[in-house]
Amino acid sequence: MTGQIRTRSGPAQHGTAPAEAAEDRGAAVRLTGLRKRYGQLAAVDGVELTIAPGEVVALLGPNGAGKSTTVDMLLGLTTPDAGRIRIFGQTPSAAVGSGTVGAMLQNGALLADVTVGEIVGLVAALHRTPLPVAEALRRAGIADLAGRRCGTLSGGQQQRVRFAVALVCDPDLLVLDEPTVAMDVTSRRQFWQAMRAYTDTGRTVLFATHYLEEAEEYADRVVLMRAGRVVADGSVAQVRAAVAGRTLRAVLPGGARPDRLLALPGVNRVDVRAETATLACTDSDAALRALLAAFPLAHDIEITAVGLEDAFHALTGRPDQTDQAGPTDQTGEDQPR
Amino acid sequence: MNTRYLVLELRRLLRSSRFLIFTLAMPAVLLLVFTGLYGGAGATFPNGIPVSTGLMINMATYAAMTAPLFTGTRVATERGTGWQRQLRLTPLSSTAYLLTKGLTALLIAVPGLVLVGAIGALVEGVRLSAGQWLGVLGGVWLAAIPVAMLGLAIGLLANQDTVQPVGSGLMMLFGLLGGVWVPAEAAPDWMLGIMRVMPTYWMNQVAKAPLLADAALGRAVLVLAGWTVLLGLVGAWRFRTATAR
Repeated sequence: MTGQIRTRSGPAQHGTAPAEAAEDRGAAVRLTGLRKRYGQLAAVDGVELTIAPGEVVALLGPNGAGKSTTVDMLLGLTTPDAGRIRIFGQTPSAAVGSGTVGAMLQNGALLADVTVGEIVGLVAALHRTPLPVAEALRRAGIADLAGRRCGTLSGGQQQRVRFAVALVCDPDLLVLDEPTVAMDVTSRRQFWQAMRAYTDTGRTVLFATHYLEEAEEYADRVVLMRAGRVVADGSVAQVRAAVAGRTLRAVLPGGARPDRLLALPGVNRVDVRAETATLACTDSDAALRALLAAFPLAHDIEITAVGLEDAFHALTGRPDQTDQAGPTDQTGEDQPR
Repeated sequence: MNTRYLVLELRRLLRSSRFLIFTLAMPAVLLLVFTGLYGGAGATFPNGIPVSTGLMINMATYAAMTAPLFTGTRVATERGTGWQRQLRLTPLSSTAYLLTKGLTALLIAVPGLVLVGAIGALVEGVRLSAGQWLGVLGGVWLAAIPVAMLGLAIGLLANQDTVQPVGSGLMMLFGLLGGVWVPAEAAPDWMLGIMRVMPTYWMNQVAKAPLLADAALGRAVLVLAGWTVLLGLVGAWRFRTATAR
């Protein structure tokens, strides 16, 4: 229901030492020891996360990783069992009340029977220091839709209305939960253009997504979650490096026995299909030298760096499940309420 | 409370054709039909109220009941679609949300009441003093407060799927057994006993009070206040359990 949980401090009352308060103010988001259980399931199991002002952070993870629960707690929609949340030094409800945080929810429905201008206007009227409605519509790229009823819009258009609703309070932190779900390629590109324009003004953004390429392209920093915990956190390059190594692929005429390939230096995983061998290497240079010595006829040699997607699969460790975590499948993270 | 939100809520209701049919058209059409059937010239109920006036008061009760009930039930829909989650990301408090819904429910009953009154005066020849008009229509409007609370309580208790049948079921129950569609004056004694439990029966009594010398206004107000307190408690309990998570 609509209750704003107006706790003055976090549910687990950490003593706010002066140093901690100063750290709180210096950070856009500070999550400490955040936990939430639903029955037997530890949806969020000790998340620690600090986001600096101006950062654009992607929150990645398979379904059920705890992304949406984390986002809900950050926004004060769900009460954590334990832990502390600060947004620019404020509690979630204070941050919502002061318009410091704006959010685009995954299932934040619009009212079908009101126009785009009315709904954005209403949210603006509820906030104390909003942007002019026309400005919010322009920034979301929907100035031409102001007179349309929300119920008549396409999925992509509705997402951009939600974006306008999220930014009309002129927030310092913008939180987006799966913002481009239900968008086609063109709307997705338009959406991220609008986002770019926004982040260029130095605002902080946290977005949860299934799309690795979006994280790779738009985020300064990637936070990977699995089973309620942060399993990797860093720049796209750092996260890639966390699963250090490269992939060596070569055609070996006549084929080769996998155990022979695995015995090569710097190789830790082998996959042979017909004459093509794919070697996951910790040291691709050493592996290549040894490979050429052992298989002089090897040809069509390719060495590639690990992509974010491989890093994601390696770090979240459940490739079979992450494969299902397609953009259309969102049920896994909807917690009982 | 935010006036802009209140105005938008009123506008949304006025855009809904289903709402207009059930709260504006139905009471007006039923008034014309019933008066045509039973309101023969000069006929009066045993209590001395002319049949046409009595029927108009019943349809005013119907109008005053149906709009608030309908409005409150929309709360369940807004919870189901996630609009409430969106509102929780604004400074609007949950109390202000419910207050806005309740006030909307009462205000939106006014057009239906005015229409029924206008048909009564202009088509059916109902003659009342200015004070009586105010007492009848204003009284039944204020007496609709518990029904608005009931609508909100249903909105909080039911979900998107159940709210429709529950709302319509109550509407039927109140209409048939609450002395709205079947005048209490024409009901057998056993039925009168059931009617006296319904808030609509007492809304109807409040509306008739300005025309009767021996009106049980005090008792009606007491029963309606009881309903209001009871429903308020149910709503508050439900509201607290729904928000605690």
